Amino acid sequence: MAEQVTPIRGNPGFAGETGEFAQLTEADVRGSGYVGTRDTAGGHPGSACSHPYQVVPRNPDAMLFEGPYRERLDKIVSRYPTPQGALLPALGLAQEIRGHLSADSMAQVADALGLSPTYVRGVATFYTMYNKQPVGDYLVQVCTNVSCNLCGGDDVMAAFLEAVDAEAGEITPDGLFTVIEAECLGACGFPTAVQVNERYFENVAPGDVPAILERLRAEHAVAGETVTPQANPYAGGGDTPPAAGRPAAADEPATGGQG
Amino acid sequence: MAYPYRHESEVRVMSEHFGDPEARTLDGWRRRGGYEALRTALGMAPGDVVNIVKDSGLRGRGGAGFPTGVKWSFMPRDDSRQPHYLLINADESEPGAFKDRELCRWTPHQVIEGALIGAHAIRAKHVYIYMRGEFFEPAQIVARAIEEAYATGMAGTDIMGSGVDIDVTLHLGAGAYICGEETALMNSLEGRRGQPRIKPPFPAVMGAFGRPTTINNVETVASVPHIIRNGAEWYRSFGTERSPGTKLFNMSGHLVRRGNFELPLGFNLKELIYDVCGGIRDGRQLKAVIPGGSSVPILAADEIDIAMDYESVAQAGSMLGTASVIVMDDRTNMVKQVRRMVEFYAHESCGQCTPCREGTAWLARILRRIEGGFGRMEDLDHLLDLGANMTGTTICVLSDSAAAPVASSIAKFKDEYLALIRRDDAAAVAV
Repeated sequence: MAEQVTPIRGNPGFAGETGEFAQLTEADVRGSGYVGTRDTAGGHPGSACSHPYQVVPRNPDAMLFEGPYRERLDKIVSRYPTPQGALLPALGLAQEIRGHLSADSMAQVADALGLSPTYVRGVATFYTMYNKQPVGDYLVQVCTNVSCNLCGGDDVMAAFLEAVDAEAGEITPDGLFTVIEAECLGACGFPTAVQVNERYFENVAPGDVPAILERLRAEHAVAGETVTPQANPYAGGGDTPPAAGRPAAADEPATGGQG
Repeated sequence: MAYPYRHESEVRVMSEHFGDPEARTLDGWRRRGGYEALRTALGMAPGDVVNIVKDSGLRGRGGAGFPTGVKWSFMPRDDSRQPHYLLINADESEPGAFKDRELCRWTPHQVIEGALIGAHAIRAKHVYIYMRGEFFEPAQIVARAIEEAYATGMAGTDIMGSGVDIDVTLHLGAGAYICGEETALMNSLEGRRGQPRIKPPFPAVMGAFGRPTTINNVETVASVPHIIRNGAEWYRSFGTERSPGTKLFNMSGHLVRRGNFELPLGFNLKELIYDVCGGIRDGRQLKAVIPGGSSVPILAADEIDIAMDYESVAQAGSMLGTASVIVMDDRTNMVKQVRRMVEFYAHESCGQCTPCREGTAWLARILRRIEGGFGRMEDLDHLLDLGANMTGTTICVLSDSAAAPVASSIAKFKDEYLALIRRDDAAAVAV
């Protein structure tokens, strides 16, 4: 019978280096090597709703559904018998671009799909992954549901809050982090599971928290140096006129989330 | 050692290539025999594919255990009501369940191949893989696999020269447990709030977009290529008469070895915990086991000498569910864990039905009060009363699921509740 594996905590939080996938690299476990670079325009329409890792801080003032993003939206819409079927992926796309779903974003999605803004808001508020308010560049979601809770999920949550020195749901003053509790992330065998934007960190113990935050800060600094939101021609400024026929709804105040 | 742990008792059918990055790729999957079952199935009449799966006895792996072939046979047998849809439920969010994520991230082509065979069987021209939005990484992997399948003629028009056309679309949810319920999933796919529908009409009559629809769990369709390749008899050689085949057991909690283990249905739960998973961590004693995900009744430590198949677990007063086994040691605060599970259901209640919307919130409040030392003796009766009113009174079973751990924990761990309540008595006197 196999012995219990003592976790190796060289690169904390990533299941591949905590003894669970000892022989595999992080890219092997995450599948990022296989996925490679994904096209902003979405590749094949059948998979257009899935988006690449977001390394660039999001721009709450970016234009929605222009250029490759318009192409993505059109591909998504083409897969459903009714435009309404594309609502969830379209809201996801808007949040991917802007970081959260403002009233303006929801109105633009409604406009693009021929739905009423009220209906879109009614649907969007049903789902927890749509950030109705701005969040930090890294949204840290700590699972505290039963399987993780048994293994110390509450302590991991407390460790994150202490390390970023903020209340749950608050954006840290540097705009980097928002830490919230999450319901089951479906990684119960690797407790505690923590989702940071698109990535899962698994087998996280309270002692791993500083190193995870350090890694995120380092990645953020690199992303900030190499790519600025302005370098993206489709991430225009707030001076972009609203599309015709769409009410210029008041946006929630932007945060200092530009890194 | 391979994917995280292996055990000699395992029968690795679906999980054989977990932890092998090469198996993710289309080439790698084909080198491992992938897509041969699809070729075979496409050469058969849809009804024959249904019959093989019916004969295999495969039962839905999403929790309910309904025979898959029978479900498929409810679909119209001609094209008079086209389009038909096949929805793959990858909305895995039952606390304790983490098998579909593994299937999608390690073997995306296994899932796609199974989905295509299922689609052919029910004459569906479009498969939607509804994946929970949090599964961003598995979604990217499945997205790439779909692209590979299209690029090589394994999806789209005239698949493998068979003349059969099937489109595959990945659809991402956005954070709502209830969307794993099949009719809520259909609503969500249609761009609505994920609220369950009243049945009838059943999905096979009027499902997604008003069309005949079948919804299958990821693990269910992942089993299908192996059944087509090896035959119904072979599949029946694993498991029990009424629960044939292999199943991924998702083991979490206070275990020495956690993770997914693929075993024949009917495997003994005690052996699963003490042998396959190496027993309880830190040399502790077992207190309780939830055998099928957080929605099923809790078993006490002396109730685990049972076979893990649909019938035996039901006989023991619980349910196999998704075979997501949550193990709790003797230090576990049962009231706290039940409260945490109930808070989850309160958070995830879609709000349509009053017994669920109100009941889950009240259960959570009363449990929190007891946990905090402010419980009253009559609270236990209140909890049971509420739970009884929440069971069988709503459109879907989320309400029942919230009540199940409350009732079973009060029945089996009443002393823990009483100890917390009595502490309040003492504190009240002191004040």
